Amino acid sequence: MSQARIVRIHNELLGTYGDQGNAEVLAFRAKFHGITTTITDVRYNDPLPTNGDIYLLGGAEDAAQLLSLEALQRGDNLDILHFAIERGAVILAVCAGFQIIGNKFWANGKEVDGLGLLDVVSVPGEKRLVGDIKTISTVLGFELTGFENHMGRTILGPTAQAFGKVVTGNGNGDGKFDGAISGNIFGTYMHGPILARNPELADLLLTRATGRKYAQITDPLALKYATWRRKVIK
Amino acid sequence: MRLKLSILIAKLAGTLSKRFLRKSGETIPGRVLLALYPRAISILSQNRKIICISGTNGKTSTTKAIVEIISKLGSVTTSASGSNLDRGVATALMTKSEYAVLEVDELHLPRVISEAKPVAVLLLNLTRDQLHRMHEVKRVADKWATAAKSAPDTIFIGDVDDPFVALALNSAVKPLRVSFGGRKHLDGAVCPSCGVYLNWSGNNYKCSCGLTNSNPDELFEAGTAAYRNATFANVTGKVLGGGAIAINEQALERSVDRDYNGVTANLRLTKNPASWTEALNSVSGNDVVLIVNSREVDGIDTSWLWDISFMQLSGKHIIVCGERALDMAYRLHVEGIEVELTSNFDEAILKFAKGSHLHVLAAYTAFHELVTA
Repeated sequence: MSQARIVRIHNELLGTYGDQGNAEVLAFRAKFHGITTTITDVRYNDPLPTNGDIYLLGGAEDAAQLLSLEALQRGDNLDILHFAIERGAVILAVCAGFQIIGNKFWANGKEVDGLGLLDVVSVPGEKRLVGDIKTISTVLGFELTGFENHMGRTILGPTAQAFGKVVTGNGNGDGKFDGAISGNIFGTYMHGPILARNPELADLLLTRATGRKYAQITDPLALKYATWRRKVIK
Repeated sequence: MRLKLSILIAKLAGTLSKRFLRKSGETIPGRVLLALYPRAISILSQNRKIICISGTNGKTSTTKAIVEIISKLGSVTTSASGSNLDRGVATALMTKSEYAVLEVDELHLPRVISEAKPVAVLLLNLTRDQLHRMHEVKRVADKWATAAKSAPDTIFIGDVDDPFVALALNSAVKPLRVSFGGRKHLDGAVCPSCGVYLNWSGNNYKCSCGLTNSNPDELFEAGTAAYRNATFANVTGKVLGGGAIAINEQALERSVDRDYNGVTANLRLTKNPASWTEALNSVSGNDVVLIVNSREVDGIDTSWLWDISFMQLSGKHIIVCGERALDMAYRLHVEGIEVELTSNFDEAILKFAKGSHLHVLAAYTAFHELVTA
């Protein structure tokens, strides 16, 4: 029996768009695979746990995003994340969280340095991008669905690869790609939450986090839900 | 075009749409009027006392309660239930009266304040809701604050236990700060005024920038949302010189009882995390129907279902229907709660034996369809 420690970073700040559900879906899918999980909620003033297997960040409003960034730059937190990446831990960062782990982003009208974990730069666009989104995942090779609600235009640097090729919606702003990946670091604009809409992605993260391959899960409702969303978003 | 003629045409449009399109006829007249005469709200508000009610939850029921109080002071016109955009406001103002008690959408409130110059504005609460349209809670609060600042003659009554409402009241020249002893806020981690991590101590907050719910002008006991709304109706009534009404929480809940061939149902409006949480606390029986839609007024995104814990429904007999029934079923599934899906409400009802009493928690559009059916 293997174990996965799920760390939900600053849910009180990065929980505005429902992304907290990603942790619940991971724990739920893990049960099918025989993986025991713990979910640790890290608050603004807490240090990050050093032994996390999956670190999660969600979407937020600007002021909350800046507070989360400041907290992650405080004390040993950034070192903890670097060390976690080195030992193969997974990071899934959505929307504001995706911007935070990049090199630079804008919030409250000014540019700030991000955590630099993912080679992307985000700038504000003119129009807010709101609506259903469908991509073809570059890692999984099949469709992912979600909902985007952001102002960001994200440009990938040479060491980041696009997370998904956009079928419907905007993603990083050019309508071509959504998110970015590098090793076990995943960034995306997809809410939904993304792991609820795409449970196979939860399985992939669990595989990456524990380093073990798992058999396919039979959960008809999860499959029905994911398939339906892929069908209705044209 | 002259205002009188515009009103005549607008009324005609309303009658036609009612008769031939079977619409409620509440938005068409206002829409036509504003198209023909853009300054109509401003002109029609002159020489009468306007009271506006806004907030994420409780607008409709609180408006009704205030109408009850104000109608003892003079003639009142009011918005039709839920018709709270600028066009709904314009429709309401077409009827002559001494007072107009208007339910106003959060984003439409600044326009209505600047044009109608209300004597009083009641701000109930502000929490995450329809984020595809509101985008951010703070964005709405900032718009309110700007509107409050530019209306120095208006009394702004509001619940300062909600930091976003407190922010708006801080900008008002004539604020009436009401507290119910503090309460947690789902979006309250950040100070909406200065952006620092908001300092909460239990249910109360006090920011270094001065934003706080302490030292209100009026302090009441804590209670349900319905009780708070009733209290606000009385506070607002008093400001206008009206007498208090008895607080009837049940009457103020956005809920209706119906009978479906021997199956009784309490229908309740649920449209965002705050109203869901309130509604879940009211579920006492074992038989539950949940209806989830995602049309414009419901919010076209359903991600927020994951902001709510439904554990209170664990072990109950639950049927889920509506356009986004699968979203709800999967959210509950992950919490360990299994449900049955039906393709519509009529089928859901058939799943319960005669004599059952159902709790029906319904999305905005579903609630309206059931209530008007």
